[in-house]
Amino acid sequence: MTPSPIESNAQATSSTSRWTIAALVPLALFVAVLWQAFARGYDVTFSWAWAPAIGVDAAFNVDGLAMLMLALIGGIGTFVIVYAGGYMAGTPHRGRLFATLLVFMAAMAGTVTADNLILMLVFWEATSLTSFLLVGFKHEYESARKSAQQALIVTAGGGLCLLAGALLLGGIAGTYSISALLAHGATWVEHPAAPAAMLLIGLGALTKSAQLPFHFWLPNAMAAPTPVSAYLHSATMVKLGVYLLARFDPALGEEAWWTQSLVAIGALTAFWSMLLALRERDLKRILAWSTVSALGTLVMLIGLPGAAPPGAVAAFLLAHALYKAPLFFVAGNVDHCTGTRNIDRLCGLAPHMPWTAAAAALAAASMAGMPFSLGFAAKELIKAAKADSDVWAWVSYSSVGVSMIAVAVAGVAAFRVFWHQRAATTLPEIHEAGWAMRWPPLLVAGLGILLGLFPGIVAPLLDPAADAMRAAAAIDEPMPDLDVSMAGTVVLTLASGLLLYALWDRVHDLMDRVLRALEPASMLAWYGRLMAAIPAMAAAVTRRVQPGALDVTLLLAAAAAALALAVAAWLVGPPPLADLPLLPASLGLTIAAALLVLVPMLTLLPRSPLLLLLLAGFAGLASAALFLFAGAPDVAFTQFTVEVAYIVVASVLIIRFTRGRGAGPAAHARRVPRALIAVASGVAVAALLASTSALPQDDALAAYFGRMSVPEANGLNVVNVILVDFRAVDTLGEIAVVAAAALALLPLLRRLLQRRRRTGGPE
Amino acid sequence: MTPVDRRTPVLLDEATRVLVPIILLASAWLLLRGHNAPGGGFIGGMVAVSATSLMAVTRGADAAIAFLPLGPLRLSCLGVLLGLAAGLPALFLGEPYMTHLWGELLGVKVSTVLLFDLGVYLAVWGGLGGLCAAALGLEEDAA
Repeated sequence: MTPSPIESNAQATSSTSRWTIAALVPLALFVAVLWQAFARGYDVTFSWAWAPAIGVDAAFNVDGLAMLMLALIGGIGTFVIVYAGGYMAGTPHRGRLFATLLVFMAAMAGTVTADNLILMLVFWEATSLTSFLLVGFKHEYESARKSAQQALIVTAGGGLCLLAGALLLGGIAGTYSISALLAHGATWVEHPAAPAAMLLIGLGALTKSAQLPFHFWLPNAMAAPTPVSAYLHSATMVKLGVYLLARFDPALGEEAWWTQSLVAIGALTAFWSMLLALRERDLKRILAWSTVSALGTLVMLIGLPGAAPPGAVAAFLLAHALYKAPLFFVAGNVDHCTGTRNIDRLCGLAPHMPWTAAAAALAAASMAGMPFSLGFAAKELIKAAKADSDVWAWVSYSSVGVSMIAVAVAGVAAFRVFWHQRAATTLPEIHEAGWAMRWPPLLVAGLGILLGLFPGIVAPLLDPAADAMRAAAAIDEPMPDLDVSMAGTVVLTLASGLLLYALWDRVHDLMDRVLRALEPASMLAWYGRLMAAIPAMAAAVTRRVQPGALDVTLLLAAAAAALALAVAAWLVGPPPLADLPLLPASLGLTIAAALLVLVPMLTLLPRSPLLLLLLAGFAGLASAALFLFAGAPDVAFTQFTVEVAYIVVASVLIIRFTRGRGAGPAAHARRVPRALIAVASGVAVAALLASTSALPQDDALAAYFGRMSVPEANGLNVVNVILVDFRAVDTLGEIAVVAAAALALLPLLRRLLQRRRRTGGPE
Repeated sequence: MTPVDRRTPVLLDEATRVLVPIILLASAWLLLRGHNAPGGGFIGGMVAVSATSLMAVTRGADAAIAFLPLGPLRLSCLGVLLGLAAGLPALFLGEPYMTHLWGELLGVKVSTVLLFDLGVYLAVWGGLGGLCAAALGLEEDAA
């Protein structure tokens, strides 16, 4: 049966990808979370022993905060996958995107539920890695590769800080269990090293959530496909930093330096990134800066004291996800259907894209904090939280500015693009997006309005999340009732925001000029300088250490080794020459020792590389003989066989390399430094051996192996029993290294061999 | 291009024919006796590597590599897999991974230890033998 042309054509232009089915995974998570939250209760814990010897367990604890994050991951994730099914239809390799998104989801779910710092770190780094892959999805574009690298370097750099902080914290507190750390917060918080640990953990959180001065990576990550931006860079991953800070708030809520830094950094980030948003013309980048600003607001809220801020954090986390994800979807639809995201070229799209315009209007209403939206409720809670505590005056002023610009940004995204009419802009034929791209923004944004009308619906989700963030001692008070008594300030914010919206182009020009002047001092410029400095420094070091002459490189390597040995010998202390442990003298031992002294001396005489090599090999054989007579036949055997194989290969190569070319000059050059380094390393090794052999030795393990070799392992040869039985896993690792080295080297050698054969020789 | 005259001495060439089987037998003997006397998989494997190196010197790298059963990479990886597999049977008996088992098969003592040591032997022979032969082959045609 041959497919009819109509059918195959229909398949080619199919508006959704079959990968949409993957949305069932986050949907299942979402339903499970809701069922658990509304019907069963919180604080589900389960754990397995993973590496109990170092205090790392696969422990999970699903409390209110984790539940809220899981609901976002599952709920927004479902819509993101459905949306991506439409957005990515027809894109080559889209399967990779869906697969990576699912891995990312799993990593996110692991990060927010892990109850062990080290386990959480593993998931945390997995989100960074998958984010790298997702941002770099369009890897054929250099900009996408660069943005992906930038996101990875900033967030993985922060991840390293987090690792250091977690290890330090584990060392101070004696546990990696997060719930234990928070329960006994008071004891480790007073440790002198606790601020250092928290600073490192804070760096991890601030990089992930793109806070100043690490704010620059997030807008550049907009190189990712839109579903990824909506999911990772607005609703979930970038909120991990906020999550981590909120997680540790119960323990650190009383530390003034910590909370005040959070308030300062959060407020500064919120305001500065909103100013940066004014400069952009790309719809997605405008949204990205406003996301950074929202993250700043969340960080600031966590720093505020009192019982009200946690409720505001929970509400704003949800509200932001419910309006920002749809706005990203809207930007994706506009891009998809018109081919541009530049707001200068976009106008009057509403008649062509009514569904998208409606979604944009709903989401923008929530973002602007219009009454009867969840954004409004969140904003009121934020105000209440700030009213509870006496924040610095500049924080209050900056928040007003942030709200104002948020209104203007919402206006740009929902009104300017869709309703604003302007002449002299010509866009190619515009069409509305397919159903898979039409419904997710509408539904998510609609939910944001619905929950604003009936905030009681989400109380079972938000209240436990807020409780989880509160210090155990804090008074538990219910969420403040929402009223419209602050109508005056709302109207004022809206009016000033609309004024700013009207003046958008002029403000844009002004900001563009100012920021252009500041550009050389920006963090992005410093990042660029750092990225340029690393290869420059590496090249400078390489030029000095590896100038191209093999003998210089080897000389430096030998000198470094001698230095390391000398430092070790110096640390151990002077050898007790009087009472060195001696081997019982025998004829064999005496001859082997005499050879070991004589043969290396002979290497001073000849100048031929071949003779030198043979003498070196002879010295190796002499040391093998020493082992043989000292009662270690297995070591001797190994040394013999390795030495023979090495000498055979090296000598054949030397003979063939030097045929008809003389001995080569290398042996003559730099005799004095060579002699000095040789003598120095000899003295260092001798001193080190003498000192260490005089140290008291714990031979319990050796005795155990000797005793248990026959009864436990049925072997008389203890060395072999250790290799294949007692320490078999180590040996397995070693042979895996041998195989891996062969895997890496053999194809290289064969390629070289083939090329030589083709060109008929090395020259 | 004419075949390269390696000018291998006749004596060495003849000796190779006799020596290679003897060396390999010796290496197998070292492997088998290793649990109770000096020897074992690594030493046996290194002795086998010397047989491969001898072949590479007299007959050429290609012949020496072709002589390795399965080829160097597969032989080496097979060794690692055998080593990995040797630890598995213990899991079925509820013992920790790599707990070795002994038994008798047709009157001969067998154990997972021998399987493990055979894995070491093959990994070393394939990996290092292949590398030595390939390195020796590098300059064959340069003269």
